Amino acid sequence: MPEQPVTEVAIAELAQRLDRAWEERFTISPLTESAGISDAATAYRIQTHWTELRLGRGERIIGRKIGLTSKAVQEQMGVNEPDYGTLWASRYFPAVGGRAEAPFEVFLQPRVEGEIAFLIGETLDWPDITPQQVLAATEALAAAIEIVDSRIERWRIKLADTIADNASYGGLTIGAWSKALRSSDLRTIGMVMSHNGRPAVFGAGAAALGHPALAVAWLANKLRSFGIPLRAGDIVISGALAATVPAQRGDLFMLEMHGQPPISLRFV
Amino acid sequence: MELTRAEDSLATAIHQARMSRQPIASRAEDWAVNLAGAYRIQRARVPDAHCIGYKLGLISPAKQRQMGLDQPIYGRISRAMIRERVINLSDFVQPRLEPELAVVLRRPLPASAEPGMAVRAVGGIFLGVDILDSVWADYRFSAVEVIADNASGGGFLLGERVPDRMPDGELRLYLNGELRAAGPVAALGNLAQQLCWLAQAVGGLAAGQIIFLGSPAPAIPAASGVLEVMLGDDIVQAQLEGAG
Repeated sequence: MPEQPVTEVAIAELAQRLDRAWEERFTISPLTESAGISDAATAYRIQTHWTELRLGRGERIIGRKIGLTSKAVQEQMGVNEPDYGTLWASRYFPAVGGRAEAPFEVFLQPRVEGEIAFLIGETLDWPDITPQQVLAATEALAAAIEIVDSRIERWRIKLADTIADNASYGGLTIGAWSKALRSSDLRTIGMVMSHNGRPAVFGAGAAALGHPALAVAWLANKLRSFGIPLRAGDIVISGALAATVPAQRGDLFMLEMHGQPPISLRFV
Repeated sequence: MELTRAEDSLATAIHQARMSRQPIASRAEDWAVNLAGAYRIQRARVPDAHCIGYKLGLISPAKQRQMGLDQPIYGRISRAMIRERVINLSDFVQPRLEPELAVVLRRPLPASAEPGMAVRAVGGIFLGVDILDSVWADYRFSAVEVIADNASGGGFLLGERVPDRMPDGELRLYLNGELRAAGPVAALGNLAQQLCWLAQAVGGLAAGQIIFLGSPAPAIPAASGVLEVMLGDDIVQAQLEGAG
């Protein structure tokens, strides 16, 4: 059955609905149920419109996030490719001496993930970008803690819900950028995330689509299909390396990645 | 770009051999095509818009002399030639394997580049495998024939690690667990000079282009099974399937 394209007015209305939920801190019912949004292309239109809405109010883009990079999560969502969202500067929590703080009350139902962040050094603007081309264009890498959050009630998300909801972006903090990390084996590099002093989840680079640079190559090609190259200066967080851990007020998370200084995030 | 009648008949012979997967016998110099014409033939097969990199061949002066040359040769790489973990050998005519290194450029390198610029243009060095695939029976060919056949370029594999400097040591190629070819990285020559030579030969290189640097070891015939190339603590693995 052919679907009617969703009008720009409807796209704008849904983007505003998500933005109100984000700003005023309440959850909404899934857009797949309440608005019948079912395809990724329409969901990306909503996400893009939402970002533009925020840019108009002074928001800045610092890069992109890649989601749904683990086989298990893809199977759970019934998809066979990742998705992406935009990193908004207003939710970047800088680490001082490896320690960052985030105000708990700005989130709805936050969870944390350990990831590898890429700092892109040269713009990638040609077809069919490969992981090796991504690595060659990468300036430095770092350990990163991403806060994922959902504006959708009880995280009851289908693919189109999370894409429209900026790939469930919540916020992030990034450890010191390392040029040396570029020459590590990003597939086998290990990480441990501790929760309130106890080791909670463990992972390795291969959890992100087999190789974090493969996830970034996917992103570069996907963005390019929308006419946006991955640019020099963009930060990309390349996907969770282990299960997500729910966060409560006052929780302290510590990410240790092989060869990198530890980075902590406290919800205050 | 127009090919001459002689160039066109050589290009057609190569194309038909590749399509039918039937090797053809060398006719040495009978084609009445010169080296520039041979490079025009490979450019017609992989036009500039589809060229994502190059392979260097005949990098040893001894091999160059055997072929009556005094410099390396190059072939063109299209995106479709870059293979991943599982490779079907029946896609090829006479596949052979060489352990190699490849660089990916992060910045363009103009034709007039100096060696220092070449070093700064390199974004990463990767382990690689060159899956050679000559249409010339038993790899017996003239310089014009091998160049027109895209320097025997068939398929390519790349590793996923970026060492922080040009690695040294011995490149080793294993097939089904057996060491089949090995050669020192030092035999690849001076990286910056090779890149400058290539940049000049092709009229400049673009950011993102992938350049295979040639092999320090003789090629071995491909056969089904597990292919591994190692250098230091880095490894590339692939599964070869099908005839061979």
